[in-house]
Amino acid sequence: MAERNHFLDGLEGKIGRTAAKKGRLYFEVAVKDLHDVVRHLFLGQGCRLSTASAMEMRRGLEVLYHFSHDATGRYYCPRVVLTDLEDPKMPSIAPIIKGAEWIEREISELFGIVFEGHPWPERLLTRDHPHPPDRPLRLRRKP
Amino acid sequence: MSWKNRRLAKSLWVFHASASPCNNCDIEILDLLTPRYDVERFGIKLVGSIRHADVLLVTGIMNDKVAPRLRRLYEQAPRPVFVVGIGACPTTRCCFKESYNVSPGRGDVIPVDLYVEGCPPKPEAMIDAIVKLVGVLNG
Amino acid sequence: MSKTVVPVGPFHPLLEEAEFFRLHVDGETVTDIDVDIGYMHRGHEFISERKTFTQSIFLVERICGICSTSHPIAFVHAVEDVDDVDIPIRAAYIRTLIGELERIHSHLLWLGLAGHFIGYDTLWMWAWRYREPILEIFETITGNRNHYGMMRVGGVARDVPPEAVPPLLETLELVERKMDMIAKAAADDPVLRTRLKGVGVLSRQAAVDYCAVGPTARASGVAIDVRKDEPKDAYGLVDFKVIVLENGDVYDKLVVRILEIVESVKIVRQCLERLKTAPGPILNDVKETSAGEGIGRYEAPRGEVFHYVRTDGSNRPLRHKVRAPSYVNIPTCAASCKGIPLADALITLASVDPCYCCTERAIHIVGEGGVRAQVDLAQLSRQKTERLRREIHG
Repeated sequence: MAERNHFLDGLEGKIGRTAAKKGRLYFEVAVKDLHDVVRHLFLGQGCRLSTASAMEMRRGLEVLYHFSHDATGRYYCPRVVLTDLEDPKMPSIAPIIKGAEWIEREISELFGIVFEGHPWPERLLTRDHPHPPDRPLRLRRKP
Repeated sequence: MSWKNRRLAKSLWVFHASASPCNNCDIEILDLLTPRYDVERFGIKLVGSIRHADVLLVTGIMNDKVAPRLRRLYEQAPRPVFVVGIGACPTTRCCFKESYNVSPGRGDVIPVDLYVEGCPPKPEAMIDAIVKLVGVLNG
Repeated sequence: MSKTVVPVGPFHPLLEEAEFFRLHVDGETVTDIDVDIGYMHRGHEFISERKTFTQSIFLVERICGICSTSHPIAFVHAVEDVDDVDIPIRAAYIRTLIGELERIHSHLLWLGLAGHFIGYDTLWMWAWRYREPILEIFETITGNRNHYGMMRVGGVARDVPPEAVPPLLETLELVERKMDMIAKAAADDPVLRTRLKGVGVLSRQAAVDYCAVGPTARASGVAIDVRKDEPKDAYGLVDFKVIVLENGDVYDKLVVRILEIVESVKIVRQCLERLKTAPGPILNDVKETSAGEGIGRYEAPRGEVFHYVRTDGSNRPLRHKVRAPSYVNIPTCAASCKGIPLADALITLASVDPCYCCTERAIHIVGEGGVRAQVDLAQLSRQKTERLRREIHG
């Protein structure tokens, strides 16, 4: 995918392990570079954030963002892995993308990740709940 | 009490409470009001307040967030009130039995008098259930 | 047998204490909006990890009753994306056929609701009455009016035999004629236009910031449609237009949906014609899936449905992430409802077509007068329509 290289121009040194498939590009990003990558994709290249999915793996908690480049139908998915399972924290991208607010609130509720800088980190699905479940999607599993 | 029931059966007022459904049953309930099935010719109408209702229609799995509110609704309904569970969800929680958001024991939320099965039950099945209910009320 | 009796009160479930949209008002103008969801939260992602792929198809169907085929199609796309599985041509046409029929029935449903909210109950009855032939077509092809159970990884479950096609084409023609009549009635009505033009505007920038999808985005000038951006199934083989308008108000959202019904009828006709002669099986039986990840999406009536699946080589998903279109569209209400009069609040909230399986339709208004409920909003909305009708028709 020769186009892949041009698309991510300007992010040298910030892209880690990459997996490319037809129409999909998954790449790892360090927590400190996340804001630069998101700004490049959303503001620079005009991608749209479809959603973000989190998953617990043996090596840590992974948060995978799915950016859709609608002009070509391709997906660019930066992946962040948090190794601190007791107290997972990472910067919020809600100040950059308004559409990420609900997504991060839900991940926070289901996985216990704290998104620093989120404008309103309230529970989304279990507000006013008689006995809210405690991080229900956190389970030990083999990757 | 039975002559009151016979009077009730002539025109049942229905309050529709959806407690975590996928909304398919709710659409089929609304379909009953549209020209093809038209239950208003039986005197049945949907009301906006539980205090006016004779029948409480419940759809959905009644998850933990909604259950206390549903219970409060049932307590506010003036007696006699008949609770009808529409669809597979109020009966058995359908495929959501293992969810972390439902407490086991569906009977714990509110007592249901009549179950209408199906996922979703066809409007004809719901009309059949209404006819059965009216038959029971008529003695 | 046309009905004129109106059911009293909100016909969406109104649990007294459940608050979904909390509108903050200053006098009669909306200043802010707060959304509370979770009443429908059933834990699909949790349950999906404990089911096989085929069982998950039935599970995701029950996420929503109105777009009940959009989720299965997106899910099977995601699983097929893991290994780049191809589906046979007949299966592609059948998937597109079911998907487009669902779009027609969903938009007609919305049309009816919109009519009810602004006081046009006849529109409600007519739109829902002409949904019935579509549901009949579904019953003929799939066996059920809703929740079809048609999708499988690698194809579809049931075939459409060529002899079944001519009666389906006749029913489609009936629907097309009636749709034409309803569309003209809606477009020619001066009261409807005055009532809805300029109401609840969502600017293009706000649509991009909130990452809105579907007719909500297309009415604001954002030209995105999964059917054209990443054509799968038979979307690359049929002819249709993507409807994009510019003003972002409720009227534009109405027009986008009406025109989309017209385009969907075209697509359905093309699929039915090709199904008379397309050869081959309907299922490419996938026996195993390798370890990996897949993204699948589909243009549901409300916008892009997104499914992400992580597999480990077994027959169960390791992680299954679902994102319905209303999840990104409902927050746009915060932008489109600011500063609008209270009488327009209900129709603006309804114009994003919240798939109310993730939402309750209970609206509480918080102001100095205390707390009011949705039934008052509906009354305000209808009173405004009456006032406009008197002004226009004298």
